[in-house]
Amino acid sequence: MGSPRMTLQTQLVLRALLEEPAKQRYGLELCALAGLPSGTIYPILARLEQAGWTESTWEDPAVHEEAGRPRRRFYRITEDGAERARLALARAYRARKKPLPGWAAAHPVGDGEVS
Amino acid sequence: MSCGHTTPLPISLPSSSPTRRPRWHEGQTRRSGDPYLTHCLAVARIVADVGMPPTVVCAALLHDVIEDTLCPPGRLAGQFGLTVAQLVADVSTVDLRAIPPDAAPRSAQPPHSEAVLVIRLADRLHNMRTIEFVAAAKQYGKARETIEVFAPMARAAGLADVSRELHNLSAAVLQSAPTAYAVTTRLLALLTLLLPGTQRARWRQEWQAELAALPTRRTCACFTLRVLLSTPHLSLTLRRPVCQEPRR
Repeated sequence: MGSPRMTLQTQLVLRALLEEPAKQRYGLELCALAGLPSGTIYPILARLEQAGWTESTWEDPAVHEEAGRPRRRFYRITEDGAERARLALARAYRARKKPLPGWAAAHPVGDGEVS
Repeated sequence: MSCGHTTPLPISLPSSSPTRRPRWHEGQTRRSGDPYLTHCLAVARIVADVGMPPTVVCAALLHDVIEDTLCPPGRLAGQFGLTVAQLVADVSTVDLRAIPPDAAPRSAQPPHSEAVLVIRLADRLHNMRTIEFVAAAKQYGKARETIEVFAPMARAAGLADVSRELHNLSAAVLQSAPTAYAVTTRLLALLTLLLPGTQRARWRQEWQAELAALPTRRTCACFTLRVLLSTPHLSLTLRRPVCQEPRR
């Protein structure tokens, strides 16, 4: 299984997923955590899932029916994914030779791309 | 009631009431971000404007205290009297459809059921005035209920102005919200056609759930636009294997 390209956005998403690795989160929640605009995260989530770094499941029907809303898709980083993500983030960090700009994503997209 | 958002009401209330009202709603906010108290005051103002006496206006001020705060009902009766306490209790519990509308001219002391009805209508009227802050998916249901139940009840109770405003506010939502919400939902469904066939249902459902969590039409529109811009990328991602990382 390959590894996703470590764009700046991917790194922010991975950091969000690693914050509480056991916790399941839905897309909008991850966008907020990663500091990315809502609606932009899905290609990254799809790529991470394809690579086996994350897994996703539908919300328990009892929960969303009780809340009276459509069911959510939840994402969680896998054990293997967490390990590989930490290594990849460390590599990206070293390659940049400076810390990530934080959660605000204030830097232009692609600024921190490392292949 | 020591809060910076108070607006003087156009009547004088019993000395026992609002100025000494405890801060039960303190810290609570409306979806708009306004302090919850602004809703209580607006409802009381509507009730006062239709000519209800001070006890009913007082009950309107307190109408959510039992339902939405930890205030014990007994305390309300002790501080504001049994009439006000009973009105507040009934506003929270009585089924609106069970109240017989009475179009008789306003009397100095309206029947209990009429007072309950007026407070419920005023509550709905202010909620409809601030409907823009409600999640887009819920606006439609609220507007339908208002136009089908509340507006006719207001008309039957002789509150023509309230009925008209309820009707107009609901009609505006029903004319625009379904279009806005339906267009957004349809657009997202159309976007999934760019994705591999086996993946379409999953993403359509996922985006619909995200859309339902967004609070305003504007945030829904921004979300849809960003999904639209990122869907070609998502489509490519789903159709090709993950890029191999060079071995180090």
